Amino acid sequence: MHRVFITGVGVVSSIGLGKKEFFRALEHGESGISQVESFDPSALGRDVAGEIKGFRPEDHLTSAELKRAGRCSAMSLAAMRMAIRDAGIDEALLRGPKTSVVLGTTMGEADVIADLDHAWIAGGQTAVRRTLLPKYGSTLLPIHLARAIGAQGMVLTLPAACAAGNYAIGFAADLIRSGRADVVIAGAAELLQELQFSGFVRLAAMAPQRCQPFDLNRQGLILGEGAGLLVLESEAHAVRRNASVQAEVGGYGLTCDGYHITRPHPEAMGSIAAMRQALEHSGIGPDQVDFVNAHGTGTRANDQAEAKVIRDVFGGRRIPISSVKSMIGHCMGAASALEAVSCVMTLETGIYPPTIAYETPDPECDVDVVANVARRGKADVVVNNSLAFGGYNAVACFAKPGVLPHPASLPPRELAAQAH
Amino acid sequence: MTPRAITGLGICSAVGIGREAFFRALEKPVLLKDAPHRPIASFDASKFEDAAVAEVPDFDPTKYLGDKGLRTLDRLTKLLVVATRLAAHDAGLKRDGAFVPPASPTNVGIVCSNAYGSLEAITEMNRVAVLEDARYINPAKFPNTVANSASGYASIWEELRALNVAVSDGNCGALDAVGCADVHLASARAQSLLVGGAEAASAALFLAFHRLGMLEAGAMLGEGAAMLALETPEFARRRGAKVLGQVLGFGTAFDAPDHDRQMIFASQDAMRRAIRTCLDDAGVNADEIDLVASGISGLRPFDMAELAAIHEVVGDRVCVAMPKGLVGETLGAGGAMALACVVGWLGGIAPSAIIAGEAPGRVRTALVTTMGYYGNASAVLVRAV
Repeated sequence: MHRVFITGVGVVSSIGLGKKEFFRALEHGESGISQVESFDPSALGRDVAGEIKGFRPEDHLTSAELKRAGRCSAMSLAAMRMAIRDAGIDEALLRGPKTSVVLGTTMGEADVIADLDHAWIAGGQTAVRRTLLPKYGSTLLPIHLARAIGAQGMVLTLPAACAAGNYAIGFAADLIRSGRADVVIAGAAELLQELQFSGFVRLAAMAPQRCQPFDLNRQGLILGEGAGLLVLESEAHAVRRNASVQAEVGGYGLTCDGYHITRPHPEAMGSIAAMRQALEHSGIGPDQVDFVNAHGTGTRANDQAEAKVIRDVFGGRRIPISSVKSMIGHCMGAASALEAVSCVMTLETGIYPPTIAYETPDPECDVDVVANVARRGKADVVVNNSLAFGGYNAVACFAKPGVLPHPASLPPRELAAQAH
Repeated sequence: MTPRAITGLGICSAVGIGREAFFRALEKPVLLKDAPHRPIASFDASKFEDAAVAEVPDFDPTKYLGDKGLRTLDRLTKLLVVATRLAAHDAGLKRDGAFVPPASPTNVGIVCSNAYGSLEAITEMNRVAVLEDARYINPAKFPNTVANSASGYASIWEELRALNVAVSDGNCGALDAVGCADVHLASARAQSLLVGGAEAASAALFLAFHRLGMLEAGAMLGEGAAMLALETPEFARRRGAKVLGQVLGFGTAFDAPDHDRQMIFASQDAMRRAIRTCLDDAGVNADEIDLVASGISGLRPFDMAELAAIHEVVGDRVCVAMPKGLVGETLGAGGAMALACVVGWLGGIAPSAIIAGEAPGRVRTALVTTMGYYGNASAVLVRAV
């Protein structure tokens, strides 16, 4: 059975490009939330987001890619190139059928469909540009990436909304474990776009200025955007090329609430089961987890459900948890991929990033929040929690190489033993 | 892969809703090009000349779902929820709306492909935002714009809590969903999975195909949802389920075009590799294949590349069928529609919509193939029990 390692990570975010800038900002509690400039939100009564101001696609893409790719794909391409550089992998090793690309997103090229719709509304059918049409479709994200590196394996999009990053990383690891791939470029990307922004305002879910996860006076979420990409390799492949290994992908858990399309189940049963599944598939108990990267959107429903999960899974133990959404906002499909990168950096540095703007603890969220300043601590195993639209729950476990007792397996050991 | 039992089929298609109606239609197959022209009912087609779509005719979700809670759901969601409900019941996972032990909400899940999301919902919201005011966007309908909305609703309606995976890989998505389901069954996250795809007709989708000239080229746009119950043979045995066929292998591949400016690409090489990987995965020789249910749709470059790859790997005398000639181009649901046809043919219905080779007397082993528009291709191998 193959162990699966993360050997490189790349980031496009509102607080910086590349893992170093990104994590330095997280460590120092810097906020990427600012006035929205890419569209005019003034009529909506909300006007801030974790909007990326410092990303220029032309710095990262070839001229042909600039013509082909929408902005969501452009961010993904840039983050992938950073991850590949970080992995120090010879690009020749990425070519061929044993490399796959698995990406998560909520809306993919949301800008493209908006442009198409706006042209159609304003000018009728013939105003819809033929050259723009093939750029739409979440299917395209991994295809642009595979094309850039000559990958010829699976090209898959998992549109798992706000849990898409964990879905993509988990499935990518399974592709390697089952022998279908040696290397998988995995991660997720999302744009900030007017329609989604308006929708969240209309759902009365958006805070006016700040995202304050687990705070009694929280006012909702703040949207963000970005791309987080990771290079996953089989143990054999990483050893063969003498790669520097950053983390092991442990097990992951997937469940669905089947309760409400936008709200988490108030008893969080599905979310609890997903976290237990992630630990079980990693072959560890809750005592071995050092830190939880919380989904922490800053909505009451999420925070209280998540606090229940933490208390239920970790019992009386006050495990440190934190939400980087307080700094970069809720990057929707990209959120859990960006947070996976943050988890990898926590494993590497022993630094738990803070939850900023945490002022008044919500008594309904009786959990140990890393409040306002980063904390140092043991970081052998971290858990990345995510909940999403559609009742999706996805939890991924990451560990320092060599810490997990055995490779996360298909199926988990206990069940395999029962079957024989 | 370890063999996966197909224990049920739920389908909303242009030729019938539910397995029995669908199989009845397969027994008396009528190619869409020979079928009488029906006016489009699912969207306002008055601005399109001679528009034709292979719609799910007279689709009335209340017949299957009752009349409560449907008001804010879009067509895509209703098609999928109905197909999912029918599949769960056809597989005996449920009876009269309730799970039959050992099937339960926590061991049954869903893996569903869709290629383009709910364009109906997205374009409606954009219209409201542009023509009226973004403040008038209906918050109850906003969730429909999210790509996994339909499968999320399927979990809510059908209590599918083991896991819920939305998949997108264009026309290859529904076969990729089979590959994903295999991984999740292997990891014991679920004992049984409802697997397939859904796509709904809409003005936006029709306009896109029309503008790209793909309809004139021969592809008749379709819609629908097809879901199969897949499970481990042990679970199927344990609960005494009938087995309609077995999935033995899955393969997928990607290949990039040589030209920098090119996006849309029919890759014979990707198709060839997907089929080879699938046969390896199944441990089946090419000469054991009785029939290929292809993704051929009437788009010439794609059809030629797919057929050439099939002939190259499987042999040029193999019988090749074109399920899209019966149900239309259903995009994200395409592979699942082809699987639905194959299940019928494995069960003894004479294969139809044959475009190459001679129909075999009996179909025992069938390959299903699909090609995406961007150099992606997938294949699934199915065998009778």
